Amino acid sequence: MWEKIKFWGKWPFGTLRSKLVFSFLLIVLAGGLASTIIGTEMVGNTIIAEAQKKVRHDLVSAWMIYNEKLNRIQDILNLTAKRDLIIRGVMAGQADLLQQELERVRIDYGLDVLTVVDRKGIVIARTRPPYQAGDFQGNDELVRRALKKEVVTSTEIIPQEELAKEGPELVRQAYLEFVETPKAKSRPESKETSGMMLKAAVPILDINGNVLGGLYGGTLLNRNYEIVDKIKDVVYRGELYKGKETGTATIFQWDLRISTNVKNQSGLRAIGTRVSRDVYDQVLENGRSWVDRAFVVNDWYITAYEPIRNLRGEIIGILYVGTLEEPYNDLRRNVIYSFFGIAFLGLVVVLFLAYFITRSITRPIDNLMKATEGIAGGDFSHEVPVESGDEVGHLAASFNRMVRTLRSTMEELHVLNTKLQDLNRHYLEMVGFITHELNQPMGVLKGFLIMLHDGSLGPLTTSKQKQAVDTMLRNVNALINMIQKYLQLGRIESGRMEINKAWIPIFEEGLTPVLEDEKQQLEARRMEVILENEESFRRAEAEADPVLLRIVFSNLIGNAVKYGKEGGKIWIGFREDAEELLFYVKNEGGGIPPDKLNLVFDKFARLEGELERRRRGTGLGLFNAKQIVEKHGGRIWAESEEGKNANFLFTLPRGIKGS
Amino acid sequence: MEGRRKVLVIDDEPDLVEMIRMALERMFEVTTAFNGKEGVTKAREERPDVIVLDVMMPEKDGFTACRELKGDPSTASIPIIILTGVAEHFGRTKYHRMGGLEIEAEDFIPKPVDPNELLRRVTALLKKD
Repeated sequence: MWEKIKFWGKWPFGTLRSKLVFSFLLIVLAGGLASTIIGTEMVGNTIIAEAQKKVRHDLVSAWMIYNEKLNRIQDILNLTAKRDLIIRGVMAGQADLLQQELERVRIDYGLDVLTVVDRKGIVIARTRPPYQAGDFQGNDELVRRALKKEVVTSTEIIPQEELAKEGPELVRQAYLEFVETPKAKSRPESKETSGMMLKAAVPILDINGNVLGGLYGGTLLNRNYEIVDKIKDVVYRGELYKGKETGTATIFQWDLRISTNVKNQSGLRAIGTRVSRDVYDQVLENGRSWVDRAFVVNDWYITAYEPIRNLRGEIIGILYVGTLEEPYNDLRRNVIYSFFGIAFLGLVVVLFLAYFITRSITRPIDNLMKATEGIAGGDFSHEVPVESGDEVGHLAASFNRMVRTLRSTMEELHVLNTKLQDLNRHYLEMVGFITHELNQPMGVLKGFLIMLHDGSLGPLTTSKQKQAVDTMLRNVNALINMIQKYLQLGRIESGRMEINKAWIPIFEEGLTPVLEDEKQQLEARRMEVILENEESFRRAEAEADPVLLRIVFSNLIGNAVKYGKEGGKIWIGFREDAEELLFYVKNEGGGIPPDKLNLVFDKFARLEGELERRRRGTGLGLFNAKQIVEKHGGRIWAESEEGKNANFLFTLPRGIKGS
Repeated sequence: MEGRRKVLVIDDEPDLVEMIRMALERMFEVTTAFNGKEGVTKAREERPDVIVLDVMMPEKDGFTACRELKGDPSTASIPIIILTGVAEHFGRTKYHRMGGLEIEAEDFIPKPVDPNELLRRVTALLKKD
């Protein structure tokens, strides 16, 4: 789950909604693709299987037509042999009569050969010119068996010399030169001279059932297209597909096409071509049938081949039927296109649905988001409609509760804050008024006390008087100091702190006047100021407000005097680097506990303790110093070795003169 | 000795004027004025050697008074020491600015005024002549 969220993070989709839509799409794409692939595969296989089944049936039909032809020949011969005229003719040895009568029968029934033999197998009469007779046919298997009173029918190979005896036209009809094709199995021969014949033989019997002779006849298959065209017409009803015949049939003599309606490139019957090597091996060599797609002459067909056997059961040829594969391929392609089309349609539909569904899901979230942005920007007026009872609806309701709570809290806070601001302003005004009013009389007091103290107004006569004046002066100084801090605060707090920056020498402008002011205090506490790195310090210049900078030095040095060890040292120093100038005021004394180092800059911060309480202070000096330093873009902080010293440091950005 | 040098103290606070008078009386003749207007008039009439001027006053404040005095040829040459407020606590060298206003004067002394320091400054200014 978390993996997935991370995974989403890498996608270039900003909104929840696009993520949802994309998810829908992904799911539909994956599902659609899978079902399309599986579906087309399945449909494709089914189509092929159906086609093969059909072609097997077609082959059965073809055999029926083929055998029907054979039976017809047998029937003709049978009926003819039983005619009295024929029987008497044979008994009387009337060759002329037989020849005339039988020739009429041969022509009437469309036979190529019709020959009558005597009981020894000697030819009495033939029915085709040149009407050769007298030769022996008893070696022929069919004739031999007919003379033994059998009625036999089969397909037989007739050698050229035998054809010649039956009629020279038959030799020409059978003669075929091979047309070489790349897939055919090579053979030493280059032509076929013998013929393949549907042949029947029947005995001629007398009334007592004695064999008088025999009658044989048949139809030469070479170049005779009657059977194959009948197969085509009956089985395929002569249908055309894109100008091509969908069904084809062929009779092979051995591997040679002798009767076919498969066409070659020129549109002629492809006789003379031979069967492909695979079929040759399977059907002729191994005597099995073949059902598969095969490349026949120049197109792919779904084909069935079966061997044709002679009377002895030897394979002498092949009967073939084939269906053009193209219609099935087209069907398959159409199915695939349909699948893809449906998948695509589904995709479009899903996109639409996803758009509306995700909108209904994300709209409340969008509302929440906008309202949240409003709150982030301080606008508490937005509440969101609660549209549903689901998680988002609950969230919206909780959100509205939160908004109301926040709003009322904010209103309370606002009222309180206004009150506080008023109070603070009143306080500052009051402080400002009091301190300002105090300032003047204090100045007068201080002036007179100084004069009393140094005897300008005449000597003080008793040591008690002197002591009283000393104490008064010390207290007045402390009071003035406090007043000054409050006046500084007043300026800082009320936002009136103007910074009038100028490029000034820090030592002369910031430090020297302060040291002069503090001279008396330093003397009073017998403290020694040590300037460190004085030469560089005197050269240091920066962009600063001289008045404010003096307040910083004054407060830091004032603190050092106040909290430092009596009779101790105060180090005031300077360092610099490429970016900033650093100043520090370090005094000997108790120092500051580490956990208080940051607190000393807080407003009204005072360190607790007996010693600290006795010293008067406002807790404003360091706060004021910090505000000023930060307004100048610098930093201020304290360091201390507890029990030994305290060090206050601040920086000013180096700046560029004249900029 | 051609008589004591004369210092004009202009301030609206009588006690402070009294304190400054006592501080300066030991060495100078002191005359006083209690607002800017009166101060300018007195300066023109009496031609003091030094003027001590407070900036925060009713009836013509210190800035205006100072500018008038420096703009009048009869008083322009009289050196002026300005008393500055605490919050201002401002420059004593070249940066004579108060609340963003430039002011031309010979010296500045921050309040509260140390009488000894004031005496020293007045003496120093007169020695320059």
